[in-house]
Amino acid sequence: MYTMRLVLSLLILCFASSALAQVKLTLWSHWAAEKIKRDFVEDAIKRFDAANPGVKIEAQWYEKTALYAALKTALRAGTAPDLFYAEPDQVEYMDNALLLDLSPLNWGAIEPWAKDIWSYKGKPYGLPLEAWTVEVYYNKKLMADLGVKVPASLQLDAQATTDVAKRARAKNLTPMALGVGDRPFPGAHLTHEALLKKLGVQGYDDLLQGKLSWSDPRVVETLRVVRSWVDAGLLPTTFTTLKLGEAHGYFHTNPGAVMFLNGSWYTSRAFNPTDKGGQPANFQLGIMKFPSVPGAACNECRTIAVGGSYVANAATKQPKQVIAFLNSLANPEMGNRWLENVLVQTGIKADYANIGGPHAGYFRELGATSQGAKYYFGLPIQKMQGKPKEVFTQVFNNAFPAGTISVDEAVTLMNAAYGKN
Amino acid sequence: MIRTGVDRQPWGAILAFLLPAFTVYTALTAYPVLRTFWNSFHKVLPRNEEYLGLANYAALVQDEIFWRAVRNTFTWACISPLAEVSIGLLLALALYARVPGMRFFRVAWFTPVLMSYVVVGIIWVWIYNYDWGAANALLRWLGLGSLVQAWIGDPKIALPSLVFITTWMWSGFNMVVLLAALHSLPSEVIEAAELDNCGWGAKLWHIIVPLIKPTLLNLLVLSFIGKMKIFDLVWITTKGGPLWSTETVSTYLYKRAFEWTSFDLGYPSTIATVWFVIVLAAVLALTWLFRTRDRLEY
Amino acid sequence: MGRILLFAVLGLFTAFAAGPFLWVATMSVRTTTEISLDHYAWPEKWHWDKFPAAWFNSNYNVYFENSLLVVLSAVAVLTVVGAMAAHCFARYRWRTNRLLYFVIFSAIIFPPQITIISLFQILVQYGLYNSLVGLSLVYIAVQLPLTVYILESFFARIPSDLFDAARIDGYSEWQIFWKVSLPIALPALATTVILNTILLWNEFLYAVVLITDDAKRTLPLGIQRFMGDQLEDVGMIATGLMIAIVPVVLIYAFFSEKLIQGMTAGAVK
Repeated sequence: MYTMRLVLSLLILCFASSALAQVKLTLWSHWAAEKIKRDFVEDAIKRFDAANPGVKIEAQWYEKTALYAALKTALRAGTAPDLFYAEPDQVEYMDNALLLDLSPLNWGAIEPWAKDIWSYKGKPYGLPLEAWTVEVYYNKKLMADLGVKVPASLQLDAQATTDVAKRARAKNLTPMALGVGDRPFPGAHLTHEALLKKLGVQGYDDLLQGKLSWSDPRVVETLRVVRSWVDAGLLPTTFTTLKLGEAHGYFHTNPGAVMFLNGSWYTSRAFNPTDKGGQPANFQLGIMKFPSVPGAACNECRTIAVGGSYVANAATKQPKQVIAFLNSLANPEMGNRWLENVLVQTGIKADYANIGGPHAGYFRELGATSQGAKYYFGLPIQKMQGKPKEVFTQVFNNAFPAGTISVDEAVTLMNAAYGKN
Repeated sequence: MIRTGVDRQPWGAILAFLLPAFTVYTALTAYPVLRTFWNSFHKVLPRNEEYLGLANYAALVQDEIFWRAVRNTFTWACISPLAEVSIGLLLALALYARVPGMRFFRVAWFTPVLMSYVVVGIIWVWIYNYDWGAANALLRWLGLGSLVQAWIGDPKIALPSLVFITTWMWSGFNMVVLLAALHSLPSEVIEAAELDNCGWGAKLWHIIVPLIKPTLLNLLVLSFIGKMKIFDLVWITTKGGPLWSTETVSTYLYKRAFEWTSFDLGYPSTIATVWFVIVLAAVLALTWLFRTRDRLEY
Repeated sequence: MGRILLFAVLGLFTAFAAGPFLWVATMSVRTTTEISLDHYAWPEKWHWDKFPAAWFNSNYNVYFENSLLVVLSAVAVLTVVGAMAAHCFARYRWRTNRLLYFVIFSAIIFPPQITIISLFQILVQYGLYNSLVGLSLVYIAVQLPLTVYILESFFARIPSDLFDAARIDGYSEWQIFWKVSLPIALPALATTVILNTILLWNEFLYAVVLITDDAKRTLPLGIQRFMGDQLEDVGMIATGLMIAIVPVVLIYAFFSEKLIQGMTAGAVK
């Protein structure tokens, strides 16, 4: 009798604990080396785990190329994690029905243009956590040493940029740090931002979609302007092999450059501790707008792109919990926390005007460059697919800024890629 | 009673000896080859496979990057063997002249061959570095600073720079083989061809080369096949860039299969199939070209 | 005069061939900071502690062990399986002998691309993707044709009297293989073992496609670990390269004759 009661209570205990059994979710993410972003996500995971007893999220951190390789094979083999990092240009996931439809998310808390970027056939598939603009960071001290005064509009014109390049080279300084050793997009910033300004939002979109020929005189003029910057020695000699992480160090530590063309996520590496690749403690960081080009349709146009986002595996066994976690990020509080700590824009609706915290000054400067801006949503490589994307990357990320092909050759290659002549 | 003859073969034993090898071969060589052929006619995605007929092949014919890669690989496979074998021959002749320290040279020159292409690639990326690499440093030290180049950054000279690396690597190998071949020749013939001041070029061409022709041709074919397969070196140094100047069929295939924004394995399989046919045809052509009708008896 | 010129040329070529390795060797005991100040200086402080650092802190011990496991197991199985097949082709005559031999032998010229995609699919299908077992199996298949080719020509040269004598003595076929063929072929076996070990130790393409898990990486993949995101850690990469080269150099130091013979086997006609 006594033993029976013992056995019964043990059985009840077993059932009870199995009802509270741990549900485990796996998450694979980029940003292994970007401490502040990683901290933010791990913090979000901790909050979610605390608010949802019985659910535990296990995160694995990778470098981007390793992550993409691991995901490609894991998705094929059916061993992919429940949640993973993705960027909106990875349409192959959606083409192959590998992602969970995220319609049940709280989309009211997300910027509509960010939701659009992640929409495929009318349904949204990603939570746009990171958004970023292309900025020109500069070393205030070096700029002053060159005798250049950045105007109140925060925008140099094309001629002034060539001038900065020449002055810097005269003092044996590299004018602008930039490197494409391990990424397919940084080099292209130099060209696509210029093209966007010259053509305006609609014209630029037409160009990327193949509706406007690359031989258009406005395009050719802009390419010649960019080429004049390159010829003035704007970029480092090691441009083609300099890696992204190295380019940061090249700008703020060794050997030091006057400017750095980078996305506004610059802070997620630069604000690391110095021994982890961060900028020196007394570095005088300035931000300015991308130079204007003569005869531009829209010098206040700039690109904003959705960067790191989180998506869910369509084959996940815990769709409810996955949606719950993503929803825990989709609210203004998290948006503001992201802004305050990571100092990059976000696709979540957030209050940009009232950011506090130790880096509020930086954020105000960042906001200043976006004053009165008109946005184009998406990078070229996020808007193009297949052959044009491949040719664009080879030409405008690598060869053209490196100065190894001429404007005419670039135009010919791009037209051929779109099947035009 | 001695059992000989073709009629009493121990079939059980034969089968037992061949079975492991053929199992491995069938499962991991023959079957994959056939499966690649099959893939090439389909669109191969994670969830489904769609029959496409000859669509992939039609697309391949139009694919300029593929044909650029084929041209690059063929250029490499034609030039590199000629360079490696000629240098190897000259070195072998130099050592054949009974130079003291021959053993040391032989061992030293063979070392590049032992290293993985990964190791070689990394070292040569450093050598070719524009700012501090050995190549440019040497030029600057010699006062030839105006000749410094971005060896693997410039589309015009990236491929020759890579060909130089494989030549560096394999000359020693060819030297060793040719030295062995030279040593195996009867000495009276060679004494007449010792390197001396006059006419050694003619002696070389008319006496020595014909005698070691089978080995030379063999080395050329081996080198040719090796360069047609090359992947590691390109992947570590330039990954096929800049502007596809060093794109080889193997790097292009790897990118299409594992790096393009597509899960499709059908098109890369088409590339593999067509390349397979091209390589086979090239090797057959070479062996037919180099067939030695006369066996030199001495 | 001619002699001196000859020596000069030989000396230059030696510098050319061995120079790069000497450079890496010196860099492997200097720190990256020292190297960036002067890339070509002789080390003044010999930082031997970089080797343990690479070994223990950067997973090099894992990569080394993986390489060792995969290569040794593949070579062991490969040698036995290859020897069996080679012996069979060489010593027995039956109608399809040369045909079957050609089928295996011809695989030597197959470019790896023809099989790599399907191997990837097959390994994923059978759960052998990202596993050392899967990689070993693939390595066995990759080197089998060459092994059979080299051993077959050797086995064929063994005089048949030995086999006839053994048969008369009542040896079974298996015993003939094990006790007659193999011992005589030991030199050839040694050279194929050395050859296969070196080729597989340095193998990269199959490893890079079939292994993505960091814990399962082999050395050629592992070297890339230091080629990370930030400033290129030239010093540590050099140390890593030396660790990768060391086994090969050791084999070379002790077995240079055998090694050279092995790697040039079949090239001399």
